[in-house]
Amino acid sequence: MKAPVFEAGNVTKVFPGVLALDEVNLKLASGSIHALLGENGAGKSTLIKIMTGVHRPDGGVMKIDGQPFSPHTTRDAISSGVGVVYQERNLIPQFSIAENIFLERLSAKPLQRIDYPALYADAQKWLDLLEIDARPETQVDKLNVARMQLVEIAKALSLNTRILLLDEPTASLTQHETETLFGILNRLRENGASLVFVSHKLEEVQEICDRVTVLRDGRNACESRALHGLDRQDIVRLMIGRSEQIPQWNQRDISGDKVALDIRNVATQDGHRDINFQLGKGEVLGLYGLVGSGRTELAKALIGAGNVTSGEIRIDGEIAKIGSVADALHQYGIGYVSEDRKGEGLILIHSVLENAGITVWKRLKNAFGLLSDRAVVNSVDPVLKKLEVRTPSSRQIVGNLSGGNQQKVSVAKWLAANVKILIVDEPTVGVDIKTKAYVHELIRELADSGTSILLITSDMPEMVTVADRILVMDEFELRGEIVNDRNYDLVSERIMHHIHGSNEEAAE
Amino acid sequence: MKRELWNQDWFGPFAVTVLAIVIVGALKPSFLSPFNIQILLLAISVNALVAFSQMVIIAIGQMNLSVGAIGGLAAISFAGMMEVWGLPWPVAAVLSLGIGLLAGLTNGLLCAYTGISAFVITLATLSVFKGFNLGITEAQPFYDVPEMVKWLGNATVLGPIPWLVLPFAVSAVALWYLLFRLPLGRSVLAVGGNTHAAELSGISVPRIVVFAHSVSGLLAAMAGIMLVARLQLGQPSIGDDWLILSFAAPIIGGAVLTGGRVSVGGTCCGVAIVAIITQVLVLFNIDPFLVQVVLGGLILWAVGVNRIREVRGQRKAAAAGI
Repeated sequence: MKAPVFEAGNVTKVFPGVLALDEVNLKLASGSIHALLGENGAGKSTLIKIMTGVHRPDGGVMKIDGQPFSPHTTRDAISSGVGVVYQERNLIPQFSIAENIFLERLSAKPLQRIDYPALYADAQKWLDLLEIDARPETQVDKLNVARMQLVEIAKALSLNTRILLLDEPTASLTQHETETLFGILNRLRENGASLVFVSHKLEEVQEICDRVTVLRDGRNACESRALHGLDRQDIVRLMIGRSEQIPQWNQRDISGDKVALDIRNVATQDGHRDINFQLGKGEVLGLYGLVGSGRTELAKALIGAGNVTSGEIRIDGEIAKIGSVADALHQYGIGYVSEDRKGEGLILIHSVLENAGITVWKRLKNAFGLLSDRAVVNSVDPVLKKLEVRTPSSRQIVGNLSGGNQQKVSVAKWLAANVKILIVDEPTVGVDIKTKAYVHELIRELADSGTSILLITSDMPEMVTVADRILVMDEFELRGEIVNDRNYDLVSERIMHHIHGSNEEAAE
Repeated sequence: MKRELWNQDWFGPFAVTVLAIVIVGALKPSFLSPFNIQILLLAISVNALVAFSQMVIIAIGQMNLSVGAIGGLAAISFAGMMEVWGLPWPVAAVLSLGIGLLAGLTNGLLCAYTGISAFVITLATLSVFKGFNLGITEAQPFYDVPEMVKWLGNATVLGPIPWLVLPFAVSAVALWYLLFRLPLGRSVLAVGGNTHAAELSGISVPRIVVFAHSVSGLLAAMAGIMLVARLQLGQPSIGDDWLILSFAAPIIGGAVLTGGRVSVGGTCCGVAIVAIITQVLVLFNIDPFLVQVVLGGLILWAVGVNRIREVRGQRKAAAAGI
């Protein structure tokens, strides 16, 4: 290995009552993409925050080009060439792309007029470099998630960043968008950048990274070693300290089951046309589609949060009139686990109990309309136990829980409501391997106990693991249906064929 | 597991209230005289309803700038109906409460179905309601208030406890029961906590918004009517100075301005703290205009305390490794 660009030696960080990092080492080379892996709570975020000047270490040293590096603020880190693209979007939606890229240096002096033509020209260079197909004056909230991500990368790079930390950059990207991003990352690597790639998706890590550091319980499980020669199982063993148990699920026979949900020629205000499918009782039906293909919009229309303009929805053979989410839940037993946990799934400032109980309040009130705490606890507690939600008490504020536990709570509220049909939208975005496996098992168990599940995901391995049948959606239409025979390569190829086949036609 | 006592929303304001009473009582024994306690309770009773009226709207994450205008309109309606139409006071009171409810309902319908922010809508209706008020009264008070009403406004039930405490106590218990024991009230807090999540959980957000504004209007009207009884006349300027207090008390009581979290007990303590400070300034012969300054300081203090508690909660959770 060449002389490292960045070096962290024995970095230690103590939070009240917990040793977050225990003498952690990390060496980054130029022209390299370095994977930083670990389960939730292993210390990745803490390490990133120390490198970017958000936290200060309690022990150890960091060096850049052999010079001591001890950032006190994020500004210090930026001026030393360390940049970060966080999971959460840090762009100002109402501002243009150019304004976002150059946000804190729109002009040389605070009172100097902003020279917009020059600003746009500067921004254009970065857009060209990253092959972002948008004009610099475009308002950021008009962009899709993938492009916003690229704008953030442009922003980081424009600050002369030599060490770029990418925290779960593909979490909300589709496979196609991910590949575009990887093309760009590869070029940045060729140009000598040093990239750190944090992700839970090991397939991607193996595809793009060349070196790897794994953290487990705040310590190095392995340090800056070549990724070559490590297979998936090796990495997982480093991360969780034991082998991964990949469930070998059998093909389930669902052909004889009753139809729970029957969608006939449905069109919606969002632009869906001719949507036809059936969901059997106890079936896991996958709905695969890229972001913006209309998956989430269809789900919302079905639960009464959007408008169905024509067609028929039958539930258990009866025509259903779903005017509102309340109708869907209380009359037809349909629930929806949102992809946007923080924005739509949970009330972060409320307790676990209140979040999980929200769907059952109506059912639990007694003759006087009174809602006793005990009744809510009795109906929610078994579900929380079953899902193994890790919380000191059910009065804990949900916003203080880890992502995985939050996800469990957002599933718990629908289980408590005893829904018959559950629409699950991207259930494992940003959760670690253990929790992910757990969510998959949970979906399977629910289906086995007779709940019909519509699983929306753009995570191909997840789709192939969990779904019985797969629908492919693109541009608000269903493009095809695949019986999942659990052969990953074959199934993913067929899915991509359905999408790209239609994409190519649409493009030209 | 219940949350520890000192972590309850109302505990901080409550401790400050008790502390204030002890200190001021020790320095000026006249502060604890029955007469003074009666004055204090009168102020608290009316102001608490003003604060509740705003608190319900803060709970859904909105603001109601028209609280004072609704209170004023209800107040002059109450006094006017008795003086001009000669209606018996209970009838006039019920009709005036109805006016408050209607005003709140209007606010609610506009907020729920136009998509315009509550701030702008209640700013507009503030002007409309105040306009009705001035149009009816021509800025002149109604003086002819029945003796019974005057008596209710100042007489005491038991020791230094005035009759006006009754509507305050009943509203406080009813609101607590609504917000923390009824699905309807839980839904109000859910809408404030996260509107999208509430909607996708099967709660009808527009209905909850209309409901909260209606309750707010009703409470503001009740405060206006009580003030007529206390002042012994239907003053058109009733409600003009309610705005700051209406926000200050819930915030001191631990409410989160973005919605989803309010405390009835905390709000009561907030009202009490403001009332005590006002009295202290009088007792110690300090310029009463300083009340505004102190009130502003209190709001900042309260928001600061909430923030510290929030950060501490996050740290604790991080330390517990969950």
